[in-house]
Amino acid sequence: MENTSLAHHLILAGLLFVLGLTGVLVRRNLLVVYMCLELMLAAATLALVAFSRFNRTMDGAVLVFFVITVAAAEVAVGLALIVALFRRRGTVQSDALNTLRD
Amino acid sequence: MAHYLHWILFLPLFAAAFSALFLRRQGAIAAWFSTATAFTIAGLALKVLLIGGDVTWHIELAKFGDISLGFGYLLDANARLMLFVVSFVAAWIHLFSVGYMQEDEARGRFFAGLSIFMFSILGIVVADNLLMTFIFWELVGFSSYMLIAHYFDKDYAAAASRKAFITNRVGDLGFILGIAMCLSLYGTLNFSELAQLKPVGGFPVILGALLMCGFLGKSAQFPLHVWLTDAMAGPTPVSALIHAATMVAAGVYFMARVHFMLATDVLNLMAISGAGMAALAGLCALAQTDIKKSLAYSTLAHLGIMGCALGLGRPDLAVLHMAMHAFFKATLFLGAGSVIHGCHHEQDMLKMGGLLKKMPLTAATFIAATLSNCAVPFFAGWYSKDAIIEAAHEHNFAIFAFLSIAALATCLYSGRMIRLVFLGEANSEAAEHAHESPWTMTLPIVVLGLVYSIAGGFLAHSLIPASALGVVAKPLEEMAFHLTAPATIVGLLALLLGFGGALKFYGITRGKDALQLVSPRTYHLLEHRWMDGLYRWYIDSIQRRVAEFIAFLDLLLINGVAVRWIAGGVPAVLGYFTGRSFHRGQTRGYALWIVLGTLFLAWFLIAR
Repeated sequence: MENTSLAHHLILAGLLFVLGLTGVLVRRNLLVVYMCLELMLAAATLALVAFSRFNRTMDGAVLVFFVITVAAAEVAVGLALIVALFRRRGTVQSDALNTLRD
Repeated sequence: MAHYLHWILFLPLFAAAFSALFLRRQGAIAAWFSTATAFTIAGLALKVLLIGGDVTWHIELAKFGDISLGFGYLLDANARLMLFVVSFVAAWIHLFSVGYMQEDEARGRFFAGLSIFMFSILGIVVADNLLMTFIFWELVGFSSYMLIAHYFDKDYAAAASRKAFITNRVGDLGFILGIAMCLSLYGTLNFSELAQLKPVGGFPVILGALLMCGFLGKSAQFPLHVWLTDAMAGPTPVSALIHAATMVAAGVYFMARVHFMLATDVLNLMAISGAGMAALAGLCALAQTDIKKSLAYSTLAHLGIMGCALGLGRPDLAVLHMAMHAFFKATLFLGAGSVIHGCHHEQDMLKMGGLLKKMPLTAATFIAATLSNCAVPFFAGWYSKDAIIEAAHEHNFAIFAFLSIAALATCLYSGRMIRLVFLGEANSEAAEHAHESPWTMTLPIVVLGLVYSIAGGFLAHSLIPASALGVVAKPLEEMAFHLTAPATIVGLLALLLGFGGALKFYGITRGKDALQLVSPRTYHLLEHRWMDGLYRWYIDSIQRRVAEFIAFLDLLLINGVAVRWIAGGVPAVLGYFTGRSFHRGQTRGYALWIVLGTLFLAWFLIAR
């Protein structure tokens, strides 16, 4: 930990975020897209924890606990939606889900 | 002392929550549970009254700069008296309801409603600042709405509850504006702090007028009185508790509490409109055949008298009259409830008659309370009402004249009611087979009626202990039974002419209203609801037009230009240049645009 600075953490968080974003943009399977979304969220929380640590307050870290808790609940809802979607439409490929166009 | 108030205030909240959560289907348990709580509260309130002494207790809940908002109690002589009156009357009405609502399916909800109402009204009584008062004020509005709509599957009850709620909101808009104005001018909402302020030139007229708006709505003062008569759609105990004894009186109590903030102009307006309403409503009561509606107009008349007393600068008399009125009007309503129950839910007075023999207990208490209502000397109503008429006489002749008409009208409709309901012969099958009500219903009316309505003022020295005498004793001593005073003469004349006249006049027909036969036009004039017509016209012809115009603007500017135009225009332009449609139903495409939009926004904010 002694050799790392805030910048290192933020670069890592940024990389993770871009990775997630790319996944969201290019992948077609909604399940994978969803995982990438969670990766973006994790990147953001990582940045928060980093700031919290280098500012020597616990606020950010505490906030992250809440974010994780809420994210867990949200994952349950999201996965349920995907399952429901699959049951109804027989596919979770985002290309096939384009009825919004009409 | 403060811990007594905690119990008094939060016990009913607990009872309401418990009944609402667990006793929805166990109506019988909920009924007795709620009643037991009510009696406990009444006992505690009596204890507080006996101990006496003022209480101030406050905790801060939120602080914004210099402005502190909190929760607290301010218990003075008025508050102690009100606390006792409310809880005592309410306890007996709870007991009455146990009998009256015996066959009701939704008893659990009903009693939970009564308890939440208790919580709300007691909150207003003990509140030490305007915001807390306002919150409980709204809770009272809610509980009233809920209880009026008890028979919500009946259209008229649902409509009446909406009407009551909306009319009250109109008044409360003024109230909350008044609170905001008070906060911005003086930076505090605390009653004791406000009382210490002595602003140069007095408190502004507008502030008083705005605060009065809340009173106009809650206490059903002209021009917001229209909801009270419709509110009779609720079960009779509710009418007795809320729309006669306590809730409508809360407005009077509140005005007495902030009396120091009311400018002279506001007071004068209050006095004249109160007196006018007292006279008019009293006369309107003559043109009602529904026993509860007739009583509702009677309540309006008494509220007018209280408003008038406030306007005359005598909040002490207003509170005294409120207390006396609470007892005898609760008795009247409960008596009416007992009559309705006995006559198998017949409410038309013209179809009753001859009930004196069939329901002796109810009849005796009803008549006693009526005499109090008419301000027969030495009955409860006499002490306060005569004192108010006396005060009016010293103040202004017009107000005195209006109040004299009100006194006469009171005697007229009271005489009519007694004549139609209890004397003569039974006018319908239902009245023929009327029976006395069970003990849970007769005991409350006997207690409230005999103990307080007859003896209320006279026994005040012994029954209402010394601590409350700050309120009660002064007017009592002033009364000193001078028979030559104008108020006494007016009262006695009204009694002879009105009561005697009505007993005789309404004896000439059977099953029909005598006034309607003699002068149909007068009857129609009194029966017709002119203000309802006016409001209907205003809403249909003015408010709806304005609303439609605003809706049109919204459709044109917000919906049309701001949303459709931009949302449709930008992609159309971009699509023209790229040659492709943006709207392809592809989630990834939308996501890309979100990302690009965010990046653009970030660049826009940072680079600038």
